[in-house]
Amino acid sequence: MTEAQKFKQPIKKKPKKEDAEPTTPGGLSSEKKKKLEVLDEFIEGVLQEAGEEFLDEFKQVEGQ
Amino acid sequence: MSIPKIVGIEQEYAIKIKGDETLSFFDASCTLVNAYARRLGLRNPEVNMLWDYGHETPYQDIRGELFGKNTGQQIIGEKENRLINAGLPNGARLYTDHAHPEYSTPECLSARDALACDKAGEIVLREGLKLMRDILPSTSVTLYKNNTDQQGHSYGCHENYLMAAHAHEACLVSHPQRALKTLIPFLVTRQIFAGSGKVGDRERENSGPPYQISQRADFMQNLFGLETMYARPLINTRQEHHADPKRFRRLHLILGDANMCEFAGLLKLGSTQLVLQMLEDDFMDCDLTLKDPIEANKQISGDFGCAVELADGRNLTAVQIQREFLAYAQKFRPTDPSSRVPDDDLILSCWSYVLDGLTQLKLSDDMVIEDDPLLLSRRLDWVLKLWIMNRYREGQNCTWGHPLLTVLDLQYHNIDRKEGIFYRTQDQGFTEQFLTDDEIAHFVHAAPDNTRAWFRGKCLEKFAEEIYLMNWEVVGFDQGDVHRMVPLLNPLKGTRGQYQEIFDQSRNARELIMLLESGSVKQ
Repeated sequence: MTEAQKFKQPIKKKPKKEDAEPTTPGGLSSEKKKKLEVLDEFIEGVLQEAGEEFLDEFKQVEGQ
Repeated sequence: MSIPKIVGIEQEYAIKIKGDETLSFFDASCTLVNAYARRLGLRNPEVNMLWDYGHETPYQDIRGELFGKNTGQQIIGEKENRLINAGLPNGARLYTDHAHPEYSTPECLSARDALACDKAGEIVLREGLKLMRDILPSTSVTLYKNNTDQQGHSYGCHENYLMAAHAHEACLVSHPQRALKTLIPFLVTRQIFAGSGKVGDRERENSGPPYQISQRADFMQNLFGLETMYARPLINTRQEHHADPKRFRRLHLILGDANMCEFAGLLKLGSTQLVLQMLEDDFMDCDLTLKDPIEANKQISGDFGCAVELADGRNLTAVQIQREFLAYAQKFRPTDPSSRVPDDDLILSCWSYVLDGLTQLKLSDDMVIEDDPLLLSRRLDWVLKLWIMNRYREGQNCTWGHPLLTVLDLQYHNIDRKEGIFYRTQDQGFTEQFLTDDEIAHFVHAAPDNTRAWFRGKCLEKFAEEIYLMNWEVVGFDQGDVHRMVPLLNPLKGTRGQYQEIFDQSRNARELIMLLESGSVKQ
């Protein structure tokens, strides 16, 4: 087995249902819906905690 | 004849400090570097190694004296040298560059190893942050692996590739049109899979696209040059090869984005290795010279499907140009089979897949993903970030001008596994992962065993107290009456296969050098 064969190769085929693009909620499993809800809540929490003032606090200096 | 394409990444991290307004970025970065070095025993009183700047010539240009800058060699005292630098036993360098913590991976033979070493660097920095909390308990420091603060400042994710000296000279110095025909068009267009995505820069409010695929495109102004902080070039031409310049040269690319997605990172490094090898073997007989590469870089960043103008009058999309390179790469076999790019079949497969995916990717005028049948949102940073942004926009009913989208953009790159948006997305199973946790963890402590990084790392692991100085191409030992330098001028030598036995037999650096001089090294 070559090094490359050990790893998952991208396959040109129609995505499995559980891998389908999660922007189409009608086709989602309940597990995936739950994961998306968790992700949305997490992002909302991160942004609320950071707030818009984060942008001014984040200012960097020029890199090399 | 092409040679193996050793690759390394230098990542500058953005830094955010909360809780101590007097703590500068420089001080915070140095605290982190030293906390981690101390943890490894590299700050014990008996360890006094310096980072050797003697081989660094950032103001000399490969194109000749006319292009150089006469600002003199950077002078740095021993105390500051030790404050900002830490060579690590995994072959990497952790240091403070200007005001950013920077992690330079060891030299890697494969894109996969380089990707794993880059990810291992994130673990090193996370560990450094954890150690900092014991030192500065009331201060919160966070690191971001990205390339812009959205306020007009940029910092790099530089790539270095080993090239044969004759090919480097021919393509970049004596016949730069060779680079213009192939390498430059490849680099300008690879952002369609290598870009990390960003919402419009706040400094360019109401101008430019609301979301673009590259973080760095706005900051690139030249094709070649020495600058790194303004008027940035795609290819930095400093004459600083960190190897025997008669045989080897370093191609120093500074146009790329920092990748969080493993797929994007692997493809960026692997496809570049392949193109460089084809360039060395003079395999590509096409002329894809762009009429205005810098403008094309920005155009594509703003609209990945746009057609850019070639010097011959043709108009091609980035996908079409990348397909030309892919077609060559699929036919290519290096002159020397032993120098074949590792995992080339996997890289070609990913490359083909992603170009098919981009051909089918449909975005609305408002940058909503309408169709992504090959699930690039699981694989490419700019598509994943766009998908996340659109979910947020949809949920909050907000337009692209909403400032929290810029916050979201930055928080995507937070390297904290619990707080960073990319990592939360990955942990929820929404990204494709190539690397195993074990593979990444391995490179936190160990150097790749098939380049000179292994030798350097082993010296640090076994004989740190005896090292006087080091850099990429030398390890110098202090033997009391004399300093003994071990040159590492060939990045392909110094491997575990060559030197394991000698290190096993050596109780100290003096014995190591005696064995090296006895000629008992395996070839």
